[in-house]
Amino acid sequence: MILQTALLIGLVIFSVLALLLKDLLRSAISLALASLLLGIIFFRMNAPYAGVFEISVVAGLITVLFVLTIALTGKGEAIHESRLVNWVFPLVFVAFLVIDALVMKSLLGKVPALASGAESGSFGEVLWKARTIDLVGQIAVILAGVFAVLALFRKRDKND
Amino acid sequence: MIILFVVLPLIVAGILPLVGKVSRRVLPDLLANATLLGLLVYAAVAGRALIAGGPVLQQLSWLGEAVNLRLALDGFSLFMLLAIALVGLAASLFSIDYMEHYGAKANYYALYLVMIAGMNGLVLATDLFSVYVFLEVAAIASYALVAYGLSHDGLEAAFKYLMLSVVGSAFIVAAIAVVFGMTGSLDFAAAAAGLQELNAGPVLAIASAFFLLGFGLKAALVPFHAWLPDAHPSAPAPISAVLSGLLIKVSGVYAMTRIFLNIFGLTPALSTVLMGLGAISMVIAAFLALGQKDMKRMLAYSSISQVGYVVLGIGIGTPLGIAGGLFHLFNHALAKGLLFLTSGSVQQATGTRNLDEMGGLAKRMPVTAATNLVGALSIAGVPPLNGFWSKLLIIVALVQAGHPVFAVIAVLTSVLTLWYYLLMQRKAFFGKLNEKWAAVKEAPFWMTVATVLLALLCVGIGILFSTTVSTWIQPAADVLADGIHAVTGSWGF
Repeated sequence: MILQTALLIGLVIFSVLALLLKDLLRSAISLALASLLLGIIFFRMNAPYAGVFEISVVAGLITVLFVLTIALTGKGEAIHESRLVNWVFPLVFVAFLVIDALVMKSLLGKVPALASGAESGSFGEVLWKARTIDLVGQIAVILAGVFAVLALFRKRDKND
Repeated sequence: MIILFVVLPLIVAGILPLVGKVSRRVLPDLLANATLLGLLVYAAVAGRALIAGGPVLQQLSWLGEAVNLRLALDGFSLFMLLAIALVGLAASLFSIDYMEHYGAKANYYALYLVMIAGMNGLVLATDLFSVYVFLEVAAIASYALVAYGLSHDGLEAAFKYLMLSVVGSAFIVAAIAVVFGMTGSLDFAAAAAGLQELNAGPVLAIASAFFLLGFGLKAALVPFHAWLPDAHPSAPAPISAVLSGLLIKVSGVYAMTRIFLNIFGLTPALSTVLMGLGAISMVIAAFLALGQKDMKRMLAYSSISQVGYVVLGIGIGTPLGIAGGLFHLFNHALAKGLLFLTSGSVQQATGTRNLDEMGGLAKRMPVTAATNLVGALSIAGVPPLNGFWSKLLIIVALVQAGHPVFAVIAVLTSVLTLWYYLLMQRKAFFGKLNEKWAAVKEAPFWMTVATVLLALLCVGIGILFSTTVSTWIQPAADVLADGIHAVTGSWGF
C-alpha cells in the first residue's frame, strides 16, 4: 500500500514537472520517468502487457524520439508565456485535487465490480481474434500518419 | 460485403502514392473519384436492399477461421454512409481542378481516402472502442489535410485543432473506460443490456458528461467550438467542405446520438441538456457569423449554428424530432459542402476571402453565384429548398413536444441565418463589379460540375422531400427512436 501510494505520488509529481519545466530536455525526461512509474503500477496491478508496452514504447521509444528531435532542432529563443499560465495551472491543479478527494471515494464505492465480459482469453487471442477490427483501424492510423508526414514535409516540386 | 466501405478506400489509399510515381495527375484523379463513385453507387443502390430484412451484421472469416471483424449496417448507418459518399464524391470532383496548384496530388487523395475510410468505419462499428479507433483515423487524416497548404495560418489552425480534438478524444476514451468498467463489455448490444441491469445512476451521469464533452468538442457545439472557426477556413476548400459537411457530423453528432439514444437510452435530463446545448449553439454562432468579414469564417460559424439545429432536433427525442434533425444533418451536409466549394472557387479566382473586397462577381462567375445562392437559401430555410423542410420538421416537432419557446428561438435564428447569408451574397456577388476583378473567369470545369451537382441535389431534394424522407430519413430515425432495443434486440451475434 505504501509502495503503491509512493508510486502514484511520484507519477503525479513527474507528470506535473513535465508540464512545468521550461527546459525541453528535462521535461521529456520527467515524462519518461512518469511513464516508467505508470508501467510499474501496471505490473503491480496484474496488467503485464500494458506495463511492457508503457515502458518499452512510451518510456523508451518516444523518449528517444523526443530527445533526438530536441538535439536536432537546437536552441531557439525562449518562449515567454503569459503570467496567467504561471498561476492558473497550480490553481486548477489544487482545485482538481480537492474535488478528487471529496468526490472520488464515494463515487468509487458505487462502481459495480468489473463484470467478466466476452472479451477474455490470453493476450494474443484478445489482440488477434477478439479485436481484429481495431487492427484494421490501426493500419489506417499508421497509413494516415505516414501520409501526413509525407504531405507536411513535402518539397514543392517544380512540375507541380 | 459491407466491409468494402472501410477496406476499399484504405487499399486505394495505400496504392495511390505508388501510382503517383507513374502518373502525377490523371491516374490519382481517376482512381480516387472512381472509388468514391463506387461507394456511392453501392450505398445508394444496393444498401437499401441489404437492410430490407433488418440490420445486416457481418462477421468475417479469414482462411476458414472466424475472426472478430464485426460490422453492422442499419438504417442510421446506411443513411450516414450515403451522406459521406455523396459529399465526399462532390468534394473529390472539386479537388481535380482545385488541388492542382497544391502539388503532391496522389498524397492528398491518399489522406482524403483514409479520412473517408475512418468515417465509414466509425459509422459501421459495433463496439465502443472501435468507435474511438476510427474516430482517430478520420481525425489524424484531417489534421494533416487542414495544414495541407503549408501556409502559416493553416499550420497554426491545424495545431489548434489537434490540441482541442485530442482533449475531446481523451474524454471519449475516459467515458468508454467507465462504461467498460461498469458492464465488462465494449460491444454496443452487451453494453446497452448491461447498463439496463445495473442501477448506476451517478456513474452513468459521469460517463454521459464525459461523452458530452468529448463529442461536443468534435461536433463543435458552443461552448466547445473554439477550434472550428480557425480550422475550417484555413483548410483547402474541398477539405473545408468535408470537415464542415461530414466530419463534425460523423465524429460528433453520429457517434453521440448512437451512444446516447441506442446504448444509454435518452433520459429526460439528457434530452434537456442536448436541446439546451443545441439552442445555445444555434443562437450564439448565428450572431458570431453575422459579424464576419471572411467568407469562409462566416460559413464556419454557420456550421456551428446549423449543427445546433441538428442536436436540438435529435434532442427532442420524439420520432418526428429525430427525423427532422437527421434530415437537417443531410441537408446541411449538402448545402454547406456546396457553399465551401463555391467559396473555394471565389478564393481561387480572386485570391481573397474578404467579403469587403469582393462585389459584383456574379457578372464574371454566374454559375458560382447561382449555386452559392442555392446553398445559402437552402441553409437559411427558404422554400422550396431542402433546408426549409428539415427546419419545418424540427419546428413542428418542437411545438408538438410542448417546447414553444425553443420553436420560437429556432424560427428567429432562421431569420438571422437568412440575414447573414443575404449579406454574404450581396457583398460577394451582387452590386457593382469591383474593377480589380474585371479579368476574373468562371471556375474550371470540374469545380463547376461539383457545385452544380450539389446545387441540383439541394433543389431536387427540396421538391422530392417526402420521397427522400420516407426512403432514407425515416429508416434512420426509426433506429434512433427505437432506443436501446435497436441494438439489444437485433444486434446479438
